[in-house]
Amino acid sequence: MDNRLKIELERQGIVATTLQELYNWGRKNSVWPMQFGLACCAIEMIATTMARYDLARFGAEVFRSSPRQADLLIVSGTVTKKMAPQVVRLYNQMAEPRYVIAMGACAISGGPFKQGYNVLKGIDRYIPVDVYIPGCPPRPEALIEAFIALQKKIAAQPLTGEGRPRHLDADAPGEFPVPAFGEHDLEPPANESVWHAPLTQIQGT
Amino acid sequence: MKSVEEIKSAIEAAVPGAGVELVPNSSPSAQHSLLLAPEKAVAVATFLRDDAELAFDFLSNVTGVDWPEPGYLEVVYHLYSMAKKHGPLILRMRTENRIDHVELPSLTPIWRSAEFQEREIFDLFGVVFTGHPDLRRLLMWDEFKDHPMRKDYVDPDDFEYEPTAHDAVLERAIEHRKQLSVSSGQ
Amino acid sequence: MASSPYFSLAALFVAALGFGLAPLGLVWLWAKIYSPPKPNSIKNAIYECGLESKGDAWVQFRSAYYLYGIIFLIFDVEAVFLLPFAVVFTSLGAVACAAMLVFVLLLIEGLAWAWAKGVLTWS
Repeated sequence: MDNRLKIELERQGIVATTLQELYNWGRKNSVWPMQFGLACCAIEMIATTMARYDLARFGAEVFRSSPRQADLLIVSGTVTKKMAPQVVRLYNQMAEPRYVIAMGACAISGGPFKQGYNVLKGIDRYIPVDVYIPGCPPRPEALIEAFIALQKKIAAQPLTGEGRPRHLDADAPGEFPVPAFGEHDLEPPANESVWHAPLTQIQGT
Repeated sequence: MKSVEEIKSAIEAAVPGAGVELVPNSSPSAQHSLLLAPEKAVAVATFLRDDAELAFDFLSNVTGVDWPEPGYLEVVYHLYSMAKKHGPLILRMRTENRIDHVELPSLTPIWRSAEFQEREIFDLFGVVFTGHPDLRRLLMWDEFKDHPMRKDYVDPDDFEYEPTAHDAVLERAIEHRKQLSVSSGQ
Repeated sequence: MASSPYFSLAALFVAALGFGLAPLGLVWLWAKIYSPPKPNSIKNAIYECGLESKGDAWVQFRSAYYLYGIIFLIFDVEAVFLLPFAVVFTSLGAVACAAMLVFVLLLIEGLAWAWAKGVLTWS
């Protein structure tokens, strides 16, 4: 239907919609995050759910303690190499459709601990991340902004064809390998099907 | 509190053949420390804790130092007395070398608060504490082989993506790029 | 058959059953057609806190734990009754106080019995 006609109809008190819109409207307003915090960003995440910021306004009503009941993994804080397999395993145990927000500098890239001996250089090396939030830690407003960005992303997903959500796609991968503890590093150091090093210019090469 | 020299002579009087050495600190803080001989360390530590006048009942901190030159690992203990309200007294112990003779006696049986810190030093420096009740790695996983706080530790080559590299990181990133182009045959 | 007095009841029963089962069936059909299942060993793992499970869940607990639990429960319930009692205490008569005293004494007797039996010593 023509978008202008739709708006005109809505002005007259008639709501026209499609199955896809209705389906995505339901999905985007009932994203349940997992109750899972890693470091100081988790404190901001907790503040976001409390009365002042109130993430429940956007449909993230309850934080589920079981990955089976959660749709959204908020990686809130530093992912140490010792913790990374647990995070990946939890992500694997979530039911489709599942989404990931990488919250804060550490979850994105390792942040201030990037060159540390026990910090993973970004959780996106092992699992697909939908929304990145910079900040150290990001303010609750930033998390809400990221959450709204994720809702927009869900609302824009078509139900068929290219770009459809993974739970409707038989070919989309369902298992993301959990890294093993190696003698010097996690093995493998990154999941090649998920992460490629971005092309950056380094002076001197 | 007694001066470090007085404590040293008190130890020598109480523990025969203690082999305690004074390590002077020439900085303005003048925190001189005592170097213990590993074989007598437990006896000396027991004396320091149980002596009525010294009564060092609180171990506040244990740390490790790696000395590639002249080649030993050092463990430093900071003692305070809650009963007498004095401190700190600083104890040091040194291993024979950095490779195979890295055993030191654990002081966990004397001060329980040393347990996790000695585990951490075992993990990060590789000092093996004999007599420790539960000597496992604390921060790194059990399968890990290296000791990250040693000065010759080389961290894994995961410098694929360094958007703001500088100094040592820049060198590693350039090295990584070179190895990548060699292995891909370009 | 339609004249049977139970016919309307049976029809209502079937309708009620259908009302409950139809959404379930629709959901099952929807999932069957549009949402391909992708099970794997990690996803099907029993333990849900990120760590791999090891060992057996069939371990022995001390029975003293359950005794502690029951004694706690008794006094937990007692607090529920004591709180409203305390709120309206000044406007209560002697009979109500005596009744409450009997109630509390009965529970204390139970505690004394458990104490004498050595339930509270944990070793």
